[in-house]
Amino acid sequence: MDSIVLIKQVPDTTEVQLDPKTGNLIREGLKSIINPDDAHALEAALTLKDRFGGKVTALSMGPMQAIDVITEALGMGADAGVLLTDRAFAGADTWATSFTLARAIQQVGSWDLVFCGRQAIDGDTAQIGPQVADWLGIPQAAYVFAIESVNPKHITVKRRLEDGYERLQCRLPALITVIGEMNTPRFPRVDRLLAGCREKAPIRVFNAADIGVKTREVGLEGSLTHVIKTFAPKFKREGKILEGGKESVVRELIQRLKASEGATACRAFASACEL
Amino acid sequence: MIRSNPEHLIRDSMARFVDKEVIPQAQQIDASGEFPMELFRKVGEMGVFGIRYPRNKGGSGGNTTLYCIIHEELARGLMSLAAVSAMQCLMGTNFLFHFGTQEMHENFFLPAMKGEKIPCFCLTEPEAGSDLGAVTTLAQRTKDGFVINGMKTWVTNGPIADFYTVLCQTDPAKKLRGLNFFFVPRETPGVSVSQPFETLGTRTTRMSEVAFTNVHIPFEFMLGREGEGVSNLMSILSEIRAMTAALAIGLLRASMADAIQYAKERMAFGRPIGRYQLIQAKIANMATELEAARLLTYRATKMIDDKTPCLKEATMAKYFATEAACKAADEATRIFGAYGYSMEYTVQRYYRDSRFLLYGGGTHEVLQTNIARWAGL
Repeated sequence: MDSIVLIKQVPDTTEVQLDPKTGNLIREGLKSIINPDDAHALEAALTLKDRFGGKVTALSMGPMQAIDVITEALGMGADAGVLLTDRAFAGADTWATSFTLARAIQQVGSWDLVFCGRQAIDGDTAQIGPQVADWLGIPQAAYVFAIESVNPKHITVKRRLEDGYERLQCRLPALITVIGEMNTPRFPRVDRLLAGCREKAPIRVFNAADIGVKTREVGLEGSLTHVIKTFAPKFKREGKILEGGKESVVRELIQRLKASEGATACRAFASACEL
Repeated sequence: MIRSNPEHLIRDSMARFVDKEVIPQAQQIDASGEFPMELFRKVGEMGVFGIRYPRNKGGSGGNTTLYCIIHEELARGLMSLAAVSAMQCLMGTNFLFHFGTQEMHENFFLPAMKGEKIPCFCLTEPEAGSDLGAVTTLAQRTKDGFVINGMKTWVTNGPIADFYTVLCQTDPAKKLRGLNFFFVPRETPGVSVSQPFETLGTRTTRMSEVAFTNVHIPFEFMLGREGEGVSNLMSILSEIRAMTAALAIGLLRASMADAIQYAKERMAFGRPIGRYQLIQAKIANMATELEAARLLTYRATKMIDDKTPCLKEATMAKYFATEAACKAADEATRIFGAYGYSMEYTVQRYYRDSRFLLYGGGTHEVLQTNIARWAGL
């Protein structure tokens, strides 16, 4: 059972801070890690390998320092790594990113499963996995928290829904996106990390030409969406005590909620009160 | 060729392990006084115990700098775990690795690399520590091997070890040249172990006396060529001292981090105590001494990795880093005020554990004598 795992290098924080002037992420003092959901995806692939054998390849797209997440994946037990790095890949939206990843996956060789984390903590789109499956023309199961069975033709999984779960059988090859409750990622072994830092480590580095894509198809140029502005929303708590009779106070409260710029739920609540 | 920096990668990886697995249970483990076998096995599963040994001989293919980085991080979490792991990597297995037979390698060294067997190092005696010439444990040559008689004390891991590396005198007339190391499996008749000592710090590290009474061992259990015991010990002394310095740095970092956190939260006279200059001075001293300790320690480890003699540098590192760690732990308890006196908070553990560092690798009174001599006195 050969697997490819898509992993992303992200800042080690759940509280992203933006420079108020530039709108850019403040990276000073932040360490980089494997995106947490991707670590669960990697653990899922390694667990399958432990049970059924096969090869696990970790694939990441990013700047050169993303080599660290590839090496860490080797430390956890991946057999090989692929780093996609090219200035042409910079600024990609999910469309261009998923296209690039899909083309790279086609270059890697034979595989039965592609594992991805549900979403990255720095983007939170949860779009990459499903889009890659679409580019590759293979079935997908998203939000998977358990693999029930695997055979050479099919995989049966449980995927989390808002109010329960769904059992799903996919024919192989397939793509699975994994959520955190699925497993606990193992820690890397120091001997494997060290081997991964050596020149002979089984890591391939691909650029745009290596995966046969044109620069206009990838990165900012190949993106369908463009970020115009990034900003941190301002949250300000303002207390206001309404005075007067019960009825007038409630009426004023409803009017204020309706006029507020706050959450939609507040406005919906106010409208419901009026009914 | 793009490749990762192993020092950064291994430090980050160990730091995550310590943050997730060690720190959340460190207080409870220390309070229980029980050896943290589960954590110890996890450290073994990560390949830590083989960090100093080559990959083709069952090790992980690292070096002294990586060994010290790993144990600095472990010491930041729990000193007693770090101390036992450091012993497993170095003093407990070094002589077996270099001088043991193939059978010892397979039956003891390789399992020790996985954490399945626990080694220990028997050097100190009731009347001999830094003064190695006073060692009286005797290994008497017989027609088929040696018979060992004597008593060792302050044996880290003594009660739980599977095998011992024991410094013995084979010919008292030869004094230091008569000292040799011997491999003694725990189950050898004549080996007996005392109850674990009650200690101030590193409370989960089992330390005891180990007595050898007419312990018969074959000739091949002598580790190294006869007469070279002391020179073989000297060959790892720099590493022992650099490692102890790294443990001290870990403890210093833990003390400083907790003190800073507390100083930001604890209010006095309407503002956090960290806003007062006397508290700031304590933190400033810790931070400055931390940087100095790092520079001394990792200069020494790089010299060891480059095979440059550095006993002076490693000794200075051990002396300075340990004194800095003891001071930082003391100051942290003061920043915590009365809470520093409570067993509920971490800083009391750092304060108690810091004392462990004063003795391993040589007492500071002996080290200062050496340093003064190297300075030309």
